[in-house]
Amino acid sequence: MATAPDDADEVENTLRAVLADVLGLDPARVAAFDEATPLFGALPEFDSMAVAGLLTELEERLGILIEDHEVDADMMETFGALLTFARAKALR
Amino acid sequence: MSELAFERFKVKDREEWLMRIGRPHAPAILFVPPLFEEMNRTRALIVAAMRLAAKKGHCAWLLDLAGTGESERGLAGVAWDDWRHDVTAAAAHIAEKAKKPLIASLRGGTLFDDAAKARGWWRFAPVDGAAVTRDMVRSGLAGGVEWAGYAPSEGLKGALEAAAPVQVAPLRIVRLATDRAEADIKLEGPALWRRSEPGSSVELAEAIAADLSKWSRQCAGS
Repeated sequence: MATAPDDADEVENTLRAVLADVLGLDPARVAAFDEATPLFGALPEFDSMAVAGLLTELEERLGILIEDHEVDADMMETFGALLTFARAKALR
Repeated sequence: MSELAFERFKVKDREEWLMRIGRPHAPAILFVPPLFEEMNRTRALIVAAMRLAAKKGHCAWLLDLAGTGESERGLAGVAWDDWRHDVTAAAAHIAEKAKKPLIASLRGGTLFDDAAKARGWWRFAPVDGAAVTRDMVRSGLAGGVEWAGYAPSEGLKGALEAAAPVQVAPLRIVRLATDRAEADIKLEGPALWRRSEPGSSVELAEAIAADLSKWSRQCAGS
């Protein structure tokens, strides 16, 4: 498991890489995501199985643990919401 | 065209299967696959890397762990130590034909590759057993079928949960470029074990074969 990242940019880069890997999206497309880009419910690739993979891969690469009660549709609704969650977990 | 063949190997009182690509007496690389769904998702990648390694003059071997692939045993009857015995026995089978193999283990396959007699180890995106367990539990919740339909014994689940890769030498740790964890080399390519649909990547298979070939040469003297 990775050691905790140092800064907010590192968390953002990791999140973009994980989204591209797990959802099978073109990294150039993921690089263009902004805070308001809708994710869960908007991308057909982002189904419930992908959620499981996304959470586990984020845990591995950010060195964090995500509890089931922390996961809901709101925190995955947009790229910005997911980034806020990942930063809060990784940088505290 | 490289030769592809299947060979039986003995593990205590049972037999399992190895797939072989390349000339049997060429310098051997034994691939140890990831676990559960990750095994299926990475199969095409592993076989592509095996073909490329054979072209570079190696003999690439892939074992079926007890309770998976061509194994005659059911997963429910498999104990955690069986998988460690499988890797050890497969490496011994190969050593009878050629020299000791280089072991190329991936993901959860890195958790029980340590007891085999090998020239060296090459571990790709190694992972703790606890992370594999969490992923299986989550996949089960998401898909509505416990452990995504796999039914290992409680004993195996418990051992997996507690498992971590064991230190070996000489060891090369390989990760994807997008993975922040420490590694000896980082390769460009997708994390195919996370995709819900199985896929492959020519780019990653070529990078794996090239790095394996290089590491195999470095380990040749040991």
